[in-house]
Parts: sequence; structure tokens; C-alpha cells
Amino acid sequence: MSISAGDRIGSLGKLRLIARLSGGLRLLRATSAGRIAGLTALILILAFLSFYPLSMLLYGSLHSTPPGMAGTFNLAGYQDVLSQQSLIALLNTVGLALAKTIPSLVIAVLLAWILARTDTPFRGTLEVLVTLPFFVPPILTAMAWGMLGNPQVGLLNQLFQWVTGSSVAPINVYSYGGVVWHMMQYSTPFLFLLIVDAFRAMDPSLEEAARMCGASRWRTFRTITLQLMLPALTSAAILSFIRGIENFESPLFFGSPANIRVITTDIYDSINQRSPPQYQYATAVSFVIMMLLFLIVLLQWKLLRGRSFITVSGKGYTPAVIKLGKWRWATFAFCALFFVVMVVLPVGQLLIGSFFKFFGFYQWDMLTLEHYRAVFASSEFWRGFGNTMLLGLIGASLTMVLGGMVAYISVRTKWRGRSLIDAMAWLPWMMPGIVLGVGFLWGFALLPHAIPIYGTIWALLLAYISLGTPLSVRVMSSAYAQLSFDLEECSRVHGASWLQTMRHIMIALAWPSFAVGWVLIFFGIMRELSASVLLYSVGSEVLSVVLLKLWVNGNAEQVSVVGLIMVVLVLLFRWVQLKVIKAHISTL
Amino acid sequence: MRIKTLHAVVIACLVSLALPAHAEDAKGAQGSWDAVVDAAKKEGKVVVYDMALGAPYFLAVLKSFETKYGIPVESLDLRASELSERIRTEQSAGRYLGDVEMITTTMIEEQLQNGDFVQKLPPIPNSANLRPPFRATEFSVPAFVQPMGILINTRRVKDADVPSSWNDLNDPKWKGKILSDDMRPLGSGNTMFAILQHTMGPEFNEKLAEQKPVFSRDMRNDARRVARGEYAIYVPQIFAFTSDLKGLPVKVVIPKEGAPYAEMDLAVLKNSPHPNAARLFIQHFLSMESQLIYANAWMPPVVAGVAERANADAQPFANAKLIGPAKLAERPSMMAAAKKLYP
Repeated sequence: MSISAGDRIGSLGKLRLIARLSGGLRLLRATSAGRIAGLTALILILAFLSFYPLSMLLYGSLHSTPPGMAGTFNLAGYQDVLSQQSLIALLNTVGLALAKTIPSLVIAVLLAWILARTDTPFRGTLEVLVTLPFFVPPILTAMAWGMLGNPQVGLLNQLFQWVTGSSVAPINVYSYGGVVWHMMQYSTPFLFLLIVDAFRAMDPSLEEAARMCGASRWRTFRTITLQLMLPALTSAAILSFIRGIENFESPLFFGSPANIRVITTDIYDSINQRSPPQYQYATAVSFVIMMLLFLIVLLQWKLLRGRSFITVSGKGYTPAVIKLGKWRWATFAFCALFFVVMVVLPVGQLLIGSFFKFFGFYQWDMLTLEHYRAVFASSEFWRGFGNTMLLGLIGASLTMVLGGMVAYISVRTKWRGRSLIDAMAWLPWMMPGIVLGVGFLWGFALLPHAIPIYGTIWALLLAYISLGTPLSVRVMSSAYAQLSFDLEECSRVHGASWLQTMRHIMIALAWPSFAVGWVLIFFGIMRELSASVLLYSVGSEVLSVVLLKLWVNGNAEQVSVVGLIMVVLVLLFRWVQLKVIKAHISTL
Repeated sequence: MRIKTLHAVVIACLVSLALPAHAEDAKGAQGSWDAVVDAAKKEGKVVVYDMALGAPYFLAVLKSFETKYGIPVESLDLRASELSERIRTEQSAGRYLGDVEMITTTMIEEQLQNGDFVQKLPPIPNSANLRPPFRATEFSVPAFVQPMGILINTRRVKDADVPSSWNDLNDPKWKGKILSDDMRPLGSGNTMFAILQHTMGPEFNEKLAEQKPVFSRDMRNDARRVARGEYAIYVPQIFAFTSDLKGLPVKVVIPKEGAPYAEMDLAVLKNSPHPNAARLFIQHFLSMESQLIYANAWMPPVVAGVAERANADAQPFANAKLIGPAKLAERPSMMAAAKKLYP
């Protein structure tokens, strides 16, 4: 993965046109006025994506009625937050997020280590397979686990009873355990995707040095590997914890029936199931959550402050693979079991269900292809599909570019205002999607009529960029944090311009992370529901909204068909992504 | 006898005088309605804000409208509370995108209390065909009614145990075996709670709470869960949601006291961008053709002469005894009462 200076200089000629076109960018970089103008533009964009909807929400939390209605300013919303029920919901939220983050992180670290650093067989295939649950919309897995693990007629319970002859039903998904389990379905592959490249990109010479100094394999893993992974692991764990706090589908499906309340379902209830909608309480709760998350982020900064985690340097190395001997089949079995439990069981349940007239009723006379025919003949499905692909492609690209710029300024420069930019990009992560959706809904609706964003597909695009930016910044920051400064300096010493250095060093080396981030954002957009359902309008429906509408209408079978199409898309994208990354890395 | 003959002659004369005038009126009315149809076609489309949740019978009505008039329909399909909030936000921001709304009577009452979100209803010829007790108001006209009964799993509930009264739900044998739409928030569960609070008395709801019903919010899927045998009984089951479950071991029961119902009305939204198309759409929804589609999906029609023409399997539902509807003024107290019984 090393790049020689000769290679870099040799390719400079091909870049003359690009360099000419980028004269403006160089100007921005070269002059302080240009830099200030660039930074101001970036701050304005971020302010529109984060401060604007948040200011609408702050207004909402202090105003007795939503914007546009006569009301008074008071603190009633915050007073309601202090009720016993809200505090229980808050405790449940934090407890469940923590309860799912710890086991998810342990499993994700194991999977990342196995697939990035050992000689486990079929690693490439397994890597694609274990990440699949992340991309499957939660509504689908929830539906499938509701069938597999319900205490009355769940297939797993029936299997247990058939094998043991007992009448006990050991699995009940409608419980705290069920909520945690369903959250893990998503968070384990999410964590894996965030940390696996850090494992892969790590310079093995540090581990080799430890081994040569007599440290055991376990001690090396604990004191070198894990320590070096600390920024990636803490960042990923905190993101996962935050996602746990914001999680909506799992507590809605498995918590609400067992009277387990969390903040997101409370917000949903107060907006959708009370008359009139209690926006003041919903937004006040959101601000409380935001403060909590802000404290967590501060804690993270404090933990990592002053540490250097550079593991990718200008020195060349070959990624080392640890030989596991016969244990490699045990690690293979672990990954395969994870795949079977997290993917084969629920997706298999969906696949079978999609071929029967009624989901869950498996009789020969009910076998049918009518659900496939109905989905493929549905104009709404195709409109949703087209909109989702368009928003996914444009949204993921713009979000990653924005995230890359923010991360670069935040990690690689000493410019004034970089902390502000970083903090602004983080803000949306601290808001549950449903609440950010409300902020944007009000924000777009109250824009001057000359800016007709409300009710268009662009409203969704802006919301998706806002929601995805924190993740893109984190992914790109981790990538940049691992690149030694001497690479940039070396390039400049050899006469490359700033833009050429960016292209050949910063972008080229961060490209795998960019690609991973792009896929995460793309599928984040594909799955996003809570903001979409508030912002879509006639003609701008996206797949997740189409899925929800089908689900609410009781069309579980068509939901399965759409879900399976999405799984196929996931496989296709992951395959292309891995091919592209492999091809690109090999040419570096 | 002479007097009778005289009367007959006078009446005959009056009728003969009146008939040409009536025919003239009808001609004029037809002429002016044709102008509405032409104007609607010129407007090019109609945007309907509804809470049909993609129901096939609603889609069938949209399709029949498009086929008949060649005017495309765009539908924004949301839950009632979301729909009303969406309209409020849009109109507060000066955006008028929708033409017609189809929502519960109480929601329209609430809109009228809080502002001028809907405009006065223009003359709709077919509203003259409404059957009692349904009638158009100054701002809205009934579109259909949505009655609710008890859904049972025919494998888990023996014939002898099939509930015939709402009180039968409180039999101890059903404790822990009832799945229910959540009665605390706005929705069908609370509508049933409120109506039965009046019809059956408060002690009915108190006893029902002791049966520990399990709450859910996915009405369509809940029927499937009962069909799979997860629970023996589901309340409140909207009749129409059972009409497309033929072949599954479920049956909807109409208790002897009657079926609580919610009334869905049509209204024209303020500053509707396609007012003539909106008017034509409402007229079409109240036509015999559209109402029959709803009646065959097991919903009692609001127009006279339709119930009799419904399919045989739909007849018991088309003529079901209705109780209710819930009142807007009582909504907060009923939601509070349900929350008290189900903390």
C-alpha cells in the first residue's frame, strides 16, 4: 500500500487540466481571505442543515403550540419531562442502549479481528455475509422475529417444545431481551463496518514488535491491537450507543406490547397518538436527550484528547495475517453461526412468507406469486424505488464530500473555527430522526415562497444529508487520523500542489473509508423512515415509506417482497463496492 | 266520489304543469353540472388527502374515477392525526396543495374549531341520496362508515363460546387471551372505549381492563396474529379489514348491542387548487358505483338503495346495527379514563 514519489510525480502531467480547473480551490487554500470565504460557506451550509431545524425545535419546546399557531412561551414541556413516566422511559432508553452496545461491540471486535487479521477460510465471502443484517430494514427483521420468537406460536419455541417435549416457551421477543436482541441485529454489523478497516489498516510491525519482545498472542491483542483501535472503537461504540438511544423500530415492535416505554416511542406517541399532538413535550424530551448525548460526546473527546493513533504511515508494509491453525475452522464456524442466526433465519422466514397468500400460513393451496406480481405492477413501488435510488446516490455522495471536507478541516488543519465546524456537523446525530424531521418540516414550510423546498424531493435530500453528515465526518475523521502527516509533507516537498496532494495522498489513502462511509450513508438513506414519513409528499415517496404504508395496510407479504428486493440490492452493492475497493487499492 | 275525482283532476293538472318546469330544471342542473365536469377536466388532476391506508376498495374508487373522467388522482395517505397536522402546517405556511380531505367527522369538527382549514361545501347533487341518519353539513358530507366488531379465531373459540354480547368479553376464560388496539391514544381502540362506556356503562370497561388485554397498534396485522392463534380474540375489528382474509380461521362477530363506528367525511380544503375536480370527486364518491364497492367490502353505505344491492356475504355487515359515534367534546376525558384504567 506504499506509494513512491516517482509514481506520484509521473502522473502529474495527467492532472494538468484538473489542476487548471481547480485554480479557484488553490486560491481558497492560498489566501486567508479565500479560506475565510470557504469556511464561511461551509459554516452556512452546516448551519442550514443543523441549526435551522434545531432552532425550530427549540422554539417548539418553549412554545405551547407548533409554529403557525397562536400560543404562549412557557416551560410546560420541560416540566412534563420530569414526570415519573418520562424518567422511567429515559432510564429504559439509556439502559437498553447500553445493554445492546456492549455485546454488539464484543461480537463486532471478534468478527473484525477474525475477518481482517486471521487466515479464517472464506473471509471475503464471510465479510459480505456478516454485514448483511445492517442493510436489511428493521421493519422486516422485526416482522420475521415476531414470527420466530413469539411465545404463543413462535417457530423457535415450537421447535424447542417438539425436541424437548416440554410445554415451556423459552423465547419471548416481546420483552427487554427481545428489544436488545433486535437492536443487536443492526448494531453488530454497524460496529463491524466502522472498525474493520481500522483493523485492516493497522501497521502489523507494532504487533510483531510486541511478539518479538515475548508478549503472548492474547497480551499483544489486549495491549497493542486493542489499544491502537481505541479511537475507532470508542467512536464506533459511542455512535452505536447514540443510535441505540435513537432506535425506534425495536422498542416499537417488541417493547410497546410489553409496556416497555422508551423516549423515541414516547415522542412518536406524543406526536402521532395524542390529540392535539404534544409537540412541546416531544421537542423538550428531544432537547433533554440531546444534552445527554452532548455529555457523552464531551466524555469521548476527554478520553481521547492528547493521544496519537497514527497507524498508517509512509512506510510500506504487507498486511499480516495471523495463522490460526486448526482453530481457523472454529472462527469460521463463529462467523457462519452469526450469519445463520442474524440473516438466514429472518430472511428465510421472509422468503418463505413471500410465496404464500398469507404471511405465516404455509399450506400448499396458498402458494402464490401474486405478491411479486402486485409489487412489480405497482407504480408506487417503482416511484419509490426511483426516488430512493436518486436520493441515495446523490445524498450519499454529497454527504461524504461534505463529511470529508469537515473531517479534513477538523483533523488535518489548525484553522480557526474548525471545532465549530466539527460540532455543527455532529449536532444532527444528537437528535432522533423523527424529531429532526419535525424540525425540517416546520423549517421548510416556513421558508419564503421563493424557496419551494417543502413537499419536494429536495426536502428529503437535505434531511438525509443532515442526518448522514455526523457519520460521514466520523468515518473520514478516523481515516484521516490514521494518516501520518509526513505523507502530506513528503508530497509537498516533492513539488506536488495542495490539490495533487489531496488527490494522491489524502483521497487515495482515505478512499476505502470513503467507500465504506458512502455505502453506510446510502443504505442509511434507503432505510430512513422517521424523517421521511414526515417530509414526503405526493410524488416524492421513498421505499421506506412505501414499505411502511404496505405494512400499515396489512400487506406483510408485499413488504417481504420489497424487503427481499432490497436484500438483493445490498448483495449487489456490497459486491461492486468490494470489487472496486480491491481494484483501486491494488493500483495504488 | 266526485270530490275524489276533482282532486285527481286538479293534481293531474298541477303535475302536467309542473313536469315541463321540472324537466327544465333538470336540464339546467345537468347543464351546469356538465360545466363542472368540463372545468374539472381542464384543471387536470385532483389531490386527495385521505386516511384510507391504501385500502383496496379506496384504490378501486380512485381507479373508477380516473377511468370515468380521465382525471388523475394523487393521494396523500396518512393516519388521521398526521393528516390533520400536515394540513395545519401547510396552510399555516401558505401552501395549499390538497383539494379534498377524507377524514373522521370529529377531526373535521376539530379543524373547524381551530381555524378555517376547510371551505364551505359546494352543491353536490348526490348528497341528496344520503340515507338517514347521514346528512351533509355546511362544510362536509359523509363518505362511508367504519363499524367495528369482535374478531375470533375459529380454532381457539368453540362455537358455544362465540361471544354474542360485548359483555361476553369479560368472561374469565378470556383473561390474557384478548389482543386489542391500544385504547389510550387517539384511534379505533379509544373510539370503541368511548362508545362502549356509554352503551355498556363504565363497569364494562373496568371489567375489560381486568381481563388484561394486550395492546398493539397494527390493526391489519393484529387480525393476522389472531388468525395464527397468538390470541383468541381481537377488538375492535373493523369489518372491512376482515373481508380480505377469506380462507383464514377467523370470523368477525357483530354483538347484539351493535357495532361502534366512526364516520368518515369528505370536505374541500381551503384554497383548493382544483376546486371543480374536488367537487366532481366527492360527487363520484357518493355515486351508487363507488358506494357499492365499499358495501361489498363489508362497510355500511351512506347512500340509500346500496345496501340491498351488496353481495350476499356483505349483507349482514351492510345492514349492521350501529352504535355511536364518539363525540369530539368527550375525547380528552375518554382518553384520560382509558389511561387511568390502563396505566
